[in-house]
Amino acid sequence: MAYFARRFAFFLGTLWAAVTLNFLIPRLQPGDPAEAIVSRLAGQSESVDPAQLQAIRIMLGAPDGNLFDQYLQYLGAVVQGDFGVSYTYFPYSVTHMIGEALPWTVILVGVTQIISFIVGTLLGTWAAYRRNSRVDSVITLGSTFLGTLPFFWLALLLIYVFAITLRWFPERGGYGGGSSPGWSWIFISDAFQHSVLPAVALLITGPIGWIIGMRNNMVQSLGEDHARLAVARGLPRRRIALTYGARIAILPNVTGFAIALGSVLGGAVLVETVFNYPGMGRLLLESVSSRDYPLMQAIFLFTTVGVLVANFLADLLYGFLDPRVRKAETA
Amino acid sequence: MKRSRLTRIAAVAAAVALAASGCTGTEQMSGPGTDGRIAYLDYGDFGGGSNPQANYNPYLDASRLGATEYVFEQLIAYDNYGCQAKPWLATEWTWTNPQTLVWKLRQGVKWNDGKPFSADDVAFTYDMLKQHKALDIKGIWRYLSAVEATDPQTVTMRFTQPGAAAFTLFGEIKIVPKHVWSTVADPVTFPNAEKPVGTGPFTVKAFNPQQLTLGRNADYWQADKVKVDELRFHKADGGGQIDQLKLSRGEYDSNAMFVPDIKKAYVDRDPAHNKYWFPSGGSISVYMNLTKAPFNDTAFRKALVPAFNRQEIVDKAQLGYVKPASQTGLVVPGQAEWLPKDIPNQGVAGYDPARADADLTAAGYSKNGDGKRVGKDGKPIAFSFRVPGAWTDWVQAQRIIVANLTSLGFTVRAETPTPEAYENDRAIGNYDMLLGVHGGSCNMFRNFQEPLASDQSAPIGRKAVSNFVRWNDPRTDQLIDTLRTATDEAAQKAAVADLTKVMTEQVPMIPLWYGAKWFQYRTAKATGWPSEENPYAAPSDNLLIITNLKPTGTNAK
Repeated sequence: MAYFARRFAFFLGTLWAAVTLNFLIPRLQPGDPAEAIVSRLAGQSESVDPAQLQAIRIMLGAPDGNLFDQYLQYLGAVVQGDFGVSYTYFPYSVTHMIGEALPWTVILVGVTQIISFIVGTLLGTWAAYRRNSRVDSVITLGSTFLGTLPFFWLALLLIYVFAITLRWFPERGGYGGGSSPGWSWIFISDAFQHSVLPAVALLITGPIGWIIGMRNNMVQSLGEDHARLAVARGLPRRRIALTYGARIAILPNVTGFAIALGSVLGGAVLVETVFNYPGMGRLLLESVSSRDYPLMQAIFLFTTVGVLVANFLADLLYGFLDPRVRKAETA
Repeated sequence: MKRSRLTRIAAVAAAVALAASGCTGTEQMSGPGTDGRIAYLDYGDFGGGSNPQANYNPYLDASRLGATEYVFEQLIAYDNYGCQAKPWLATEWTWTNPQTLVWKLRQGVKWNDGKPFSADDVAFTYDMLKQHKALDIKGIWRYLSAVEATDPQTVTMRFTQPGAAAFTLFGEIKIVPKHVWSTVADPVTFPNAEKPVGTGPFTVKAFNPQQLTLGRNADYWQADKVKVDELRFHKADGGGQIDQLKLSRGEYDSNAMFVPDIKKAYVDRDPAHNKYWFPSGGSISVYMNLTKAPFNDTAFRKALVPAFNRQEIVDKAQLGYVKPASQTGLVVPGQAEWLPKDIPNQGVAGYDPARADADLTAAGYSKNGDGKRVGKDGKPIAFSFRVPGAWTDWVQAQRIIVANLTSLGFTVRAETPTPEAYENDRAIGNYDMLLGVHGGSCNMFRNFQEPLASDQSAPIGRKAVSNFVRWNDPRTDQLIDTLRTATDEAAQKAAVADLTKVMTEQVPMIPLWYGAKWFQYRTAKATGWPSEENPYAAPSDNLLIITNLKPTGTNAK
């Protein structure tokens, strides 16, 4: 039990540090959000109207009190789940904007992460099981090669071939202009059409890390004494691979997978930007570039909390999966 | 055109569902509209960020959607190219004295919910802007002291001082209905998202973050002039590449975007229909820090006027889309009638490095034995010239400007900071030489007051409002004040003429080129767009344009 208590205390400490940093970092950045909004509206070649700047400053309002008071207010608001009003989408609240973006990201990135993990782990296992064979070379070299290709280039290539030249799929967006979001068959099929290219882009590169990781872990675990003993005892090779090799080799990947799932909340900035997908990643990029501090803070907080919670759960799971960890920490 | 089977299934399903529900959906409606009108036109982006939310509050500039331009109207509509005021919700206006303006409102105008429009609505709107400073985006209450509805068709406005300089602002302030907005608790946080009530030619028909559809208001007070049944605005992608592709395929009837090599990428794809017009916006000028030597010497600045190769900047850095700027600070040819008669070539300076060299030497800045130009302290003149590194066309211009200055013997460091650092340093006066944008509007007072008035400046180290060069000249201030209080056009013209003389003779800044207003249009479905041949409005004057469009094939202008 001490193991779980210690993990929980560690989790709370990291959470507090993350929340505090999240408060401090935007305040240390230079730049005035009102000026950023007005210059964006005016564009590069138009003069900025001082009256408009003044009005927007009043609209956004100035923070009250000194830094410490602001910190206390911020903590109170975070506990209540109140993240304030977005600057870019004024008067809509940050919670509303995140609510709009989150489902897109969770479905697209979450589903592709899970598929990537499963496919990657299976391919990695297979490559290690048949190590130094032709299958192994194809899987290992192929994934290393794909991994070196710049991701945005792959994504643009997909758009060029399948959206622009062949016109099989739409070029961008999460759904078309004609349908309205809701639980209708038209909308869902439309959204599915739009999600194919971004999902493919994520699935091409997604499994690579899992493949390499799984193969390396497994090659190592197959070389350990108990596996060698199993070979000496003449157990079937397949059984050795799965129950002696893979079962141990998968452990480090479980933590990695949990963190990957946790970071889904932050979205996939690159893929969402290239495909103009209405998820958290694009929202984050926009909030940073337009200095929308409330929105930026909330997205960072969501991502951090997501990773921390996932990490905590992975730690717990790890304790169950691998008794050695539990024992080592209590000892 | 091959489409996947799934798309086709989806399209069929959509068609069936639409037919079944009997809904007049916006998808795939083609062919002519009713009564010979255009069924729909496709427009570009509608604002509101990458994930727009329904927001039809016309005063929330940062987040409102473009629909407010068509749903709400102003007292007057400005042709922002020729700078002419056209009667709109008001039919007449009279200055009964320099501080009192009386408006006669148009009769028979209705809000799109059927209620009549009256002077109460106008007085309510202006009062609301007074109560809520965050909504006063044009700063009208810097000038006004009171607005009252004298009778249902008359509004009287009183000004704290002679108010002629504020007149153009009435062309920008949208009037909202009292019967809706008076019930709103806080108009600053009111998104007006459900069926916005306005007097304009269109109403909001459908919205999702990808597309905004406006439908024609059949009860509009000049409905006979609106020949389009539906406007469809399409969300743009961040980088613009996909939009350029869609533009070149003819998927937009009108758009406003930057396109590299527009002739090849757009016009040549369909020369009969694809057109563009890029009228000039503000002046982009060399700003010198006037608190530093040698920039504080008038003779030095004046000698630099012919030192820049404006035509090369226009051709190489701006793709030939814009025009060299006039030293007067005015936008020529649009504002040429404000120029004094004796100014040659409308004040646009040619490139004459030999003259710049001679004038600099005569002013006491000669070259030393190494070919370096030296200041009055005997040391070579060295300074930095900055542009934001992310603005690639300005970086191109920077290369030409630095080469021009180097050839005259100056030592110039080209610097490319981030836009935020650039704007901050410019505002607090922490620079030697950089670029700034000023003027270009129809409000002559703003055009000169913002860059030149001493009350828009600040000491070095503090943020200036808009006088970033720190021009501080009592005579300029006096002329700006004359312009602010001048009630008749002759007096305004006299003040503007004198201010252009300040620009040409004392050279507070050196205009190089005009920023362009991007505007592409197709004549396949509609004609009557503003153009170089028929410049009746600027591309952003939406109400003027939409009441001037006609279906192609009918009596095209």
